[in-house]
Amino acid sequence: MAIVSRSTILRPIVWLWFLASLVVLVIGFHEAIFVVPTDAAQGDAGRIFYYHVPSSMLSLLFPYINFLASLAYLYWRRREPLKALTADALALTAAEITVVYATICLLTGMIWGRATWGIWWTWDPRLTSMLLLWLLYVSYLMLRRFSSTGQSQTLAAVLSVFAAVDVPIVYMSIRWWRTQHPAPVFGGGPDSGIDPSMAPAFYWNVLAWAMWGIFILGFRFALERRRQLAEQEAALSAIEASLETPQ
Amino acid sequence: MTWHSFLNFSTMEHRHLLAAYATVLIVQGGYFFWVLRGWMRSKNTRK
Repeated sequence: MAIVSRSTILRPIVWLWFLASLVVLVIGFHEAIFVVPTDAAQGDAGRIFYYHVPSSMLSLLFPYINFLASLAYLYWRRREPLKALTADALALTAAEITVVYATICLLTGMIWGRATWGIWWTWDPRLTSMLLLWLLYVSYLMLRRFSSTGQSQTLAAVLSVFAAVDVPIVYMSIRWWRTQHPAPVFGGGPDSGIDPSMAPAFYWNVLAWAMWGIFILGFRFALERRRQLAEQEAALSAIEASLETPQ
Repeated sequence: MTWHSFLNFSTMEHRHLLAAYATVLIVQGGYFFWVLRGWMRSKNTRK
C-alpha cells in the first residue's frame, strides 16, 4: 500500500485555500467600493470602514493565538522540547501577523481620521491602547531577533503573557471611556450595529481578511518549522562530525 | 462608485480612500512576499 506523505495531502488544500481567499478578497473589494451606497455623512471616505474594521478585529484575535502558544511553550519547554518548539513557531507567527494587522489598523485609522476628523492622531484611550498593543508585539519580535542570552524564547513567551493583557483594554476602551473614536459598532448596546445595506460588504471583508490571515499564518508557520528543522539537522551534523574526529 | 471615481485624486476624501486601500494591500502584500522569499530561499538551501 502506497504511503502518502502529509505534504502531498496538504499542498492542494493550501492552494485551494489561497485561491479561495483571493476570490473572497475580490468580492469584498467589489462590494465595498462598487455596491455599498455612499455614506451620507462621510462621503466615499466612509468606505475605509470595510478594510479598517475587519483588520482591527483580527488584530485583537491573533494575539490570543500568540498567548496560548506561548503558554504551551512555557509548559512544554522542559517536559517535551519538540512540542515546545512547535508552540514557539506558532507564537512567533501569530505575533508577526498581529503586527501586520495592527499596523493596518493604525495606518488606515489615521488616514480615515484625517479625512473625517481633520486630524491624523489624538491621544485618546482607543488609539493609545492600540498603539501600545502594536509596540508590545514589535518589542516581542525585536526581543526574539536581537536577544543573545539563549533564553530569548522563554523571555518572549513571558512578555507575550503580559502583552495579551492589553487586548481586552483595547477592546473595552471605547466602552469604558467616551473618546474621539466612534462608539462600538457591535456589542455596544441598543444603538450599535450597522445599516443593513452595509452588512454584505462588511461580512465579506471580515471573511476575506480572516481567510487571508489563516492562510498567511499557516504559510509563515510552515516556514518557521522548516527553519527549526534545518537548525536541528545542522546541530546533529555538528555533533556527529565532532564524534568522528580522531582524538 | 466607479473605477473612475475610486481613482480620482481631485478631492481629499477620494485620495484618502485610495491611500487607505493601497496601504492595506502594500502591508499585506509586502508581508506575503517576504514570507514567500524566505520559503524559496529555505528550499534552495536544503537542496
